[in-house]
Amino acid sequence: MRRETQNILLVLLGGALLKISFTGTYLRYVKPSHQWLLIAAGAVMVLLALVSIVRDLIARAAEGGHHHSLASSWLLILPVLAIFLVAPPALGSDSVARSATTNRASVPEDGSALFPPLPVGDVVALPLSDFASRAAWDSGHSLNDRSVKLTGFVVHDGDSVYVARLAIACCAADAFPVKVKLEDNPEAGGLPNDTWVETTVTVKPGTATKQNDYVPAATVSDVRQVPQPEDPYEH
Amino acid sequence: MIPDVTSVAEQTETPSPPPKRFRITSLEVLCGLLILALVGQAWFTRILDVPAIRTGATVFVAVCTQALPFLVVGVLISGAIAAFVSAEALRRVLPKRAALAVPVAGAAGFALPTCECAAVPVAKRLIMQGAPSAVALAFLLAAPAVNPVVLVATAVAFPGEPRMVLARFAGSMGTALVMGWLWARFGKAEWFAERAMRRLPEHDGRSRWLVFAETARHDLVDAGGFLVIGGLTAALLNVVVPRTWINTIGDQIVLGIVVMAVLAVVLALCSEADAFVVASLTALPLLPRLVFLVVGPVIDVKLFSLQAGAFGRSFAVRFAPLSFVVAIACAVVAGVLILGGVR
Repeated sequence: MRRETQNILLVLLGGALLKISFTGTYLRYVKPSHQWLLIAAGAVMVLLALVSIVRDLIARAAEGGHHHSLASSWLLILPVLAIFLVAPPALGSDSVARSATTNRASVPEDGSALFPPLPVGDVVALPLSDFASRAAWDSGHSLNDRSVKLTGFVVHDGDSVYVARLAIACCAADAFPVKVKLEDNPEAGGLPNDTWVETTVTVKPGTATKQNDYVPAATVSDVRQVPQPEDPYEH
Repeated sequence: MIPDVTSVAEQTETPSPPPKRFRITSLEVLCGLLILALVGQAWFTRILDVPAIRTGATVFVAVCTQALPFLVVGVLISGAIAAFVSAEALRRVLPKRAALAVPVAGAAGFALPTCECAAVPVAKRLIMQGAPSAVALAFLLAAPAVNPVVLVATAVAFPGEPRMVLARFAGSMGTALVMGWLWARFGKAEWFAERAMRRLPEHDGRSRWLVFAETARHDLVDAGGFLVIGGLTAALLNVVVPRTWINTIGDQIVLGIVVMAVLAVVLALCSEADAFVVASLTALPLLPRLVFLVVGPVIDVKLFSLQAGAFGRSFAVRFAPLSFVVAIACAVVAGVLILGGVR
C-alpha cells in the first residue's frame, strides 16, 4: 500500500473517532469516560498522517520505495465504513436474549446486606441494576411498597415481558443485561421488543431468587414510551 | 479478496513504469472502494438489518473504539523508544543475564497502565532496539495484567475479596516470568518474522522527531489492521458462542476452569473491564474466575491477531498455546495458595 493511501486511511479512521466522540454516538459503544481518549486518539491519528503528508510534499523527489506495509492494513477501512455508513445501534433485546441469564446485580459476599434508604418522595427513579440488587439482597427491604420509575427497553421472552437495560464496564463487548419482569399490565405486553419505556412499578417482594437468576418481578402501574436516552447503558 | 488485489496492484507499480500512463495503485483502489461503499450504502444497511448481525456490528465497532486509543498510546511509546532510546542505552539498563533481566521486565510492566493492545507494539519495538526477546515478551505478558489500573479495577469488582487482587497479581506475574524464562531457554530467533527483527538504522541524520512520528505512524497502520481482524473475530464469537455455557458448569471445577479459560480467549475483553464481568458470575467459585482474569490479558483472539502481526505467524502459533497453558497453571497455583482452594 502506498504511503498516501495509508495516510488517507489514517485521516478517515481518526476522523471517524472524532466524529463519534463529538456527536455522542460513542456512548453506543464505550463508557462515557472514554470520550477524551477517543478525541486524543483521533487527533493523534490525523496529526501523524498530516505530518507524513506534508513531509512527502516537501521531499517529493526524495521519496524512496518505502512502502512495506502489510496487506492487512486494508482492513482499517472496515471500522471507517462501519462508523460512517452503518453506525451500528446500541445493543438491545437481541443481546439480552443471547446473554447468560444471571442478573448483573452487585452481590454482597455474605448474601444479604443493608442498602441505604431510598430518598423520600412519591415516585423514585432508580437504575435497573440498583432496583434488581435491592430486590434480591436488601435486608432492609427498602423497595417494598414504594413506587419506582425505571427506564429501559421492552424484551419479550415467551409469554413474559421484561424491562431491560445493558450494563457495561468498559465497552459494549462486555455488556451484561439487567431485567425486571413486568406483571399485571397488558399495555406493556403490546409493545414490540426494543421499545424504550419509562415505567412506574412496585416490586413483588421475594420474587428475585436463585431459581430465576435473581430477576425480580414488579407490578406495573404506568408505562410510557420515551426516546432512547443519550447513554443507552448503565455502568 | 481485497489484500490480494492490492499486492498485485503494488507489484505492477514497482518496476520503473512507462511515463504518462494511467496505473492502478492502492490509491485508486481505495477511492474505488469508498465510492462502492457510498453507492451501496442502502444495500449494506439492509443486509445488516438482522438482529444477530446488528449485535455483531455493534460489538465490532465497540472493540475497535475501545482498543484504538490504547493502540495509539502503544505506538507513541514505540515511536519514542525508536527515536530517543538508543540500543546502547537499553543494553546498559538491562541486566546482562536474561534470567535476571526477565524479572526487571515484569516489574516494568507495572509502569504501563494500559490494556494489552498497547503492550504489543512496545514489546516489538524493544526487540527491534536490541533488547533480548525473552525480556520483551515478559514485559508483553506482565504489562496489561499487573498495572495499578487493572489491580484497582479488580479490587473494586471484588469488594469482599481483597485476596483476589493479590492472587491475580501473583498469577499474572508468575505467567510472565515463567514464559520469559522458558523463552530465554528454548525460544528461537528464527520463529520471528523478518520484519520483527529488522533494526532501524541508528539515527541517519533525520531529526529524532521525524523518526518518532514516522515510526508511530507506520506501527499504527501495521498493527491497526490486525486489531481489526481481532475485533471481527471477537464480534463473531460474541454472537455465536452461547453464554449459557456458564450456567451448565455448576460445581464441576475442572470443567469450570477449562470453560472460563476458553471464554477468556474467545471474548477478548479489555483487561480493565474483565474483573467486572467475572465478578457478576456469582454462580461460579472463585478459582475459575481467577483463571479467566489471568488468561485474558495473556492471550485472546484480538491479542493473537496483534501478536501474529507484530512478530509473525510462526511465532504466534507457538507462543499463544504455550502461554495459554502456563497462564492456567499459574492461576491455579496462585488460587490454591492465596485464595486457599477452590472457594
